[in-house]
Amino acid sequence: MKEFDIEKLERKNIYKVPDNLFENIQEKVMNDVKATKKAPIFKLNWAYAVAASLALIFGVTFVFNQSNDSAKDAGNSGAKYVADTQAPKSESEIAYETLKSDLTSVEKNNQTVVNQNSRSLVSQEIETKETATPKTVKPVSKKTETQMNEYLDSFSNSEISELASNSTQDVYLDLYN
Amino acid sequence: MKIKDAEIITLMQNPRTREKGVRALMDAYQSRLYWHIRRIIVDGDLAQDTLQETFIKAYQNFHQFKNDSQLYTWLYRIATNEALQQVNKLKKMQKTDEDPEYYMQNLVADNVSSDAEEIQTLLQNAIQSLPEKQKLVFMMRYYDDLPYEEISKIVDMSVGTLKTNYHYAKQKIEEYIKENYEK
Repeated sequence: MKEFDIEKLERKNIYKVPDNLFENIQEKVMNDVKATKKAPIFKLNWAYAVAASLALIFGVTFVFNQSNDSAKDAGNSGAKYVADTQAPKSESEIAYETLKSDLTSVEKNNQTVVNQNSRSLVSQEIETKETATPKTVKPVSKKTETQMNEYLDSFSNSEISELASNSTQDVYLDLYN
Repeated sequence: MKIKDAEIITLMQNPRTREKGVRALMDAYQSRLYWHIRRIIVDGDLAQDTLQETFIKAYQNFHQFKNDSQLYTWLYRIATNEALQQVNKLKKMQKTDEDPEYYMQNLVADNVSSDAEEIQTLLQNAIQSLPEKQKLVFMMRYYDDLPYEEISKIVDMSVGTLKTNYHYAKQKIEEYIKENYEK
């Protein structure tokens, strides 16, 4: 053959083809597809497995550390609370507390004395003994009394009445006065 | 064809209609893909198995298909890879002293239909004598009339290289036929 142009040749498929070729192929593909759908295969992906393990380890460590930190924080906050309670008080607070304690002590003292007095109605001897014992009845010193008066003067009438209303009513107070 | 491809893609992307989609996909491309695979592998039974595997892989990996390429380009790529794997297996199984070209031409002789013209058989033998890349380029351009741009996506070669390969392949085939044609 001297001249030959492949482009002029007819495009033909010359191989033998079995009957129902494409029907068989489709059937086999569909069977395979349905089988795959019914029974999915779970392949272990090592990268994901390692990532999941690391996440678990870090997660557990984080939770553990956090619980330790919270325990430490609780201890610190307790200490802080203690420190807060011991914080220096202002002058007015000190004055108020002093007045309150003084009033309470006077009230107690008076009550004791009143009690003693009530008893002295029965027996004069006992009264003299009781008033003579400085341990049970502490007489208010003049200095303290003046201090108390100063504090009382620093309060307005309304504040004093509020303090009086907060204190318990002593039925023997009038007798003492 | 484009509208049909869009329908197939929509069916394949929905898990509920995927089976219907794979049927539509096979109806649309089974013939073209079969003959593409058959020209590479030659053996009928092996070509059938390879086509089945191509469709199964397309079904299983459809999530990897990107709409920026043609559906048939993606399918041709799967089919070509599957077919080349089968050919490599065949070559490994053959006797070490046997010439691969001679082996493939024997396969052609066994598989051609009895009424095939001599020149057509010679053409198939000539194709089997080509290096692998030239063979692929020639078959996709000559039989399937695929644009070079699409062949480039299938075989990962530049358009310039493809044109050169097709030119050399055509030259070799014409010379082979001239030398071996008896009439």
